[in-house]
Amino acid sequence: MRFVLRRLGFFVITLWAAITLNFLIPRLMPGNPAQAMMGQYRGRINPQAIHALEIAFGVNNHQSLLSSYFTYLGNVFRGRFGISLTFFPDQVTHEVLQALPWTLALVGVTTILAFALGTLIGLLAAWRRGGTLDSLMPPIFVITSSFPYFWLAMLAIWLFSIRFHWLPSSNGYSITDNVGWTWTFAYDAFKHALLPAMTILVTSIGAWILTMRNNTITVLTEDYVRMARAKGLRPWRIMWTYAGRNAILPNLTGFAMSLGFVVAGAILVEFVFNYPGVGWMFLHSVESEDYALMQGLFLLITVTVLTAILAADVATVILDPRTRDER
Amino acid sequence: MSAPSIGATDHLATPPVGPAPMVAEVRQGRWGDLWRAIRRNKKAVAGAVILLVFTVIAIFPGQIAPYDGQAMIFQPALPPSWHHLLGTTAQGQDIFSQLIWGTRLSLVIALAVGALATVLAVLVGVSAGYIGGGTDGFLSLVTDVILVLPIFPLIIVIAAYEKNAGLLTLVVVLGVLGWSYGARQLRSQTLSLRRRDFLESARVRGERKSYVILFEILPTMTSLILATFLGAAIYAVLTAAGLQFIGLGDPNSQSWGTMLYWAQNSEALFAGMAWWAIAPGLCIALLGASFALLNYAFDEISSPALRVRKLERSRFPRAEPPPPEPAGANDESVLKVQDLTVAYATDASPVVAVDPVTFDLARGEFLAIVGESGCGKSTLLYAIARLLGSPLPGEIVGGRVLFQGRDLVLLEAKELRRVRWRDISVVMQSAMNALNPVLTVADQMRDACEAHSDMSKREIEERSREVLRLVSIDPIHLHSYPHQLSGGMRQRAMIAMALLFTPDLVIMDEPTSALDVVAQRSLMVQIKELQERLGFAVIFVTHDMSLVSHFSDRLLVMYAGQVAELSETRDLFDRPLHPYSQGLLGAFPSIRGPKVQLLGIPGSPPDLARPPAGCRFAPRCPHADAGCVEAEVPLFGVNGSLVRCVKHETVG
Repeated sequence: MRFVLRRLGFFVITLWAAITLNFLIPRLMPGNPAQAMMGQYRGRINPQAIHALEIAFGVNNHQSLLSSYFTYLGNVFRGRFGISLTFFPDQVTHEVLQALPWTLALVGVTTILAFALGTLIGLLAAWRRGGTLDSLMPPIFVITSSFPYFWLAMLAIWLFSIRFHWLPSSNGYSITDNVGWTWTFAYDAFKHALLPAMTILVTSIGAWILTMRNNTITVLTEDYVRMARAKGLRPWRIMWTYAGRNAILPNLTGFAMSLGFVVAGAILVEFVFNYPGVGWMFLHSVESEDYALMQGLFLLITVTVLTAILAADVATVILDPRTRDER
Repeated sequence: MSAPSIGATDHLATPPVGPAPMVAEVRQGRWGDLWRAIRRNKKAVAGAVILLVFTVIAIFPGQIAPYDGQAMIFQPALPPSWHHLLGTTAQGQDIFSQLIWGTRLSLVIALAVGALATVLAVLVGVSAGYIGGGTDGFLSLVTDVILVLPIFPLIIVIAAYEKNAGLLTLVVVLGVLGWSYGARQLRSQTLSLRRRDFLESARVRGERKSYVILFEILPTMTSLILATFLGAAIYAVLTAAGLQFIGLGDPNSQSWGTMLYWAQNSEALFAGMAWWAIAPGLCIALLGASFALLNYAFDEISSPALRVRKLERSRFPRAEPPPPEPAGANDESVLKVQDLTVAYATDASPVVAVDPVTFDLARGEFLAIVGESGCGKSTLLYAIARLLGSPLPGEIVGGRVLFQGRDLVLLEAKELRRVRWRDISVVMQSAMNALNPVLTVADQMRDACEAHSDMSKREIEERSREVLRLVSIDPIHLHSYPHQLSGGMRQRAMIAMALLFTPDLVIMDEPTSALDVVAQRSLMVQIKELQERLGFAVIFVTHDMSLVSHFSDRLLVMYAGQVAELSETRDLFDRPLHPYSQGLLGAFPSIRGPKVQLLGIPGSPPDLARPPAGCRFAPRCPHADAGCVEAEVPLFGVNGSLVRCVKHETVG
């Protein structure tokens, strides 16, 4: 239980750090670009909303830093991120929630798939140590995992959309479609998600494969694996419950640490494909200087990443009995 | 990118004489070894070559690029030709020249961010690990928070407010946010170093903290620091390219990321200027890959487990196997080891770890194998059990292991599995490592039972309880995980597991050495009792002769991969024939005899890669003379004992 509590505590501290950064960054920047943005709102929205935005960005400080910090914290916890400039007069929260499902479906599914597949391939490669697959694979994936995601996205568009016309190059669905829970729409959305998903999969899978392979190689030198051989267990049994079960534990920690990298890549992939998710909206808000939307999205991305890390911790607790007895 | 955590300290594994000369030695040895290892590693060479090419281009872009990369002096959107190798941009710039000029900024960012992040990582990681306590708690928390915060979006937020960020701002922001991964690794490495002798002695000498960190700790972490630098450089290349690609930073700077920004803005892919988008990305990927390849290669170099070494079997021509002995010729023996030879590959020539060893083991006999560490006793043991391979390297290159008439060396994997555990079981040195930490004792007993019998769940549970009771463990511990048991209990549980099928032979590799003296003694008594009751034969490996003196029937003394002496235990204790046995006996106190000064054996065992000519013990032997080193010494039979000493008649 200690382990779970400790991880929850860490979750809260990290979230607090992100929120505080969000509060401080606009204040620490020279010039105060937020002031210019505020000008565009004046007269268009009510004074109360203006006040909330002023607190968020530290414009026109007639409040002390501390009291505006607490007002800001209060607003964040009630989900009040202000009003979006781009989607005026829509609330930031509303906009963000519209983008979220697209990203969860694309990036979430792809990341889980990449992690599961990569872990499996890494385990198999280490198990068949020195085989053709194992000697070819590491250099190949060392190279693919240093590809810039957005460049691979551009290549994919060039090859599959422009040269072969197989798949759409842009958007999450066809504009002619009616958005809704129909088979035609699902198929269309799937077709649009395929290229971005493959891009993320291809670039992110290498890291999981390599770390899992190296973990497994280390675990294979452990006495308990030799013991399993001595016991005359079947090879697949040794591979799963002795090598795999133990090798995946550090890989789960690795998952938490490398997630930021995937998120960064996914943001750019959405941008290249004009995919209507959080990443695209985030970059769009940067471009149009819609700071309220941008900061709301930054927090959303942070919360999502932290939740995924928490999920990895839960998986660790399930798979590793030692964490359950931690004192 | 896995942690090269163990490798960096491997050089320190052999304890030196004094702390001061060692550090200097290690440092020299490390750079030389590292250089040789890099040159042998193909990935390292590939990475270094790519990096070198880019470095040359970055230094002399003016000499290499045919045109000025920025000048818009050509016809826009030209296809590749001899004049324009990659065509021209929509603004009429030469793409190839832009690529060459762009190298400099990309490389500078990578190296500068790599250096900054590494310095920060070393500062935070090493001080956290070395100072410990509250400082460590705080620094580790900061490290972990920065590690999981989504850095890229954060940088974008900062860049969004600071639109005109110059190169310096970019490097500082990337560096300040990119050190955490390395710091984490360096901290754990420092933690493991802290308890090492040479640091203890530096502390005792009263050296200042800063001195210890700079001159004692950092030199031993060279490869990890390099890995941190390379990791940060990859992150810098990719993140900076991403930022430039979305137009943050200076859009007029010459870099690969900026080229991609303009290519994307001009829809280069759709407008038939594909090279405009492909080439810069390829360069980013290549630069990233060069760092990644170097990083991976260092990982391989510093953790030898990641490399595969193949033993050249051709060096060991297999002798024609002797005809199998007629069955029933010697029903007394459960195991006959004949000329068993084991070799393993090293980076240099193969090493013969077990040089033909031959012995018989009778039904129900207790044979102890003793010798110093590195004499090949464990290798012999695991060769008999057909369990060589990582972590204990080696291959059987000759000889036979006849177990109840069948040669284990020739058995196929499937047949071998059938013999395992039912007929031969193994007990290892440390149950902490030999029991699977994520399965309960019951799980680990069950999978053995399921592999070799069709017992029902209930029968398995019953049998598991029964064997636990055999070794005096309360069966309530059956469903515990290994970490929940005490050291002594774990060890007993492992022995219980070995007895599930009451095998004919139990192979034990120092099963008591992880325990304190009292627990050792009681476990030995219990093993002996069980052996007499259940009638299994035991091969018991130990470095502690006194431990087995009251329990073993015969003793096999190994030295440098060979049998030095094989005698009845009592005979060997009363009248050791080999000078090495005499030395071993002189190395520990006798309980009964008169007070004598304890004599160790001077010197250390020979390097098996270069065994001494003639008698292998001669260099350390008080009785050795020229006659001892003339030829290989055979085993001589003396009153039922075997001894490998030419002077056994006078020495013994």
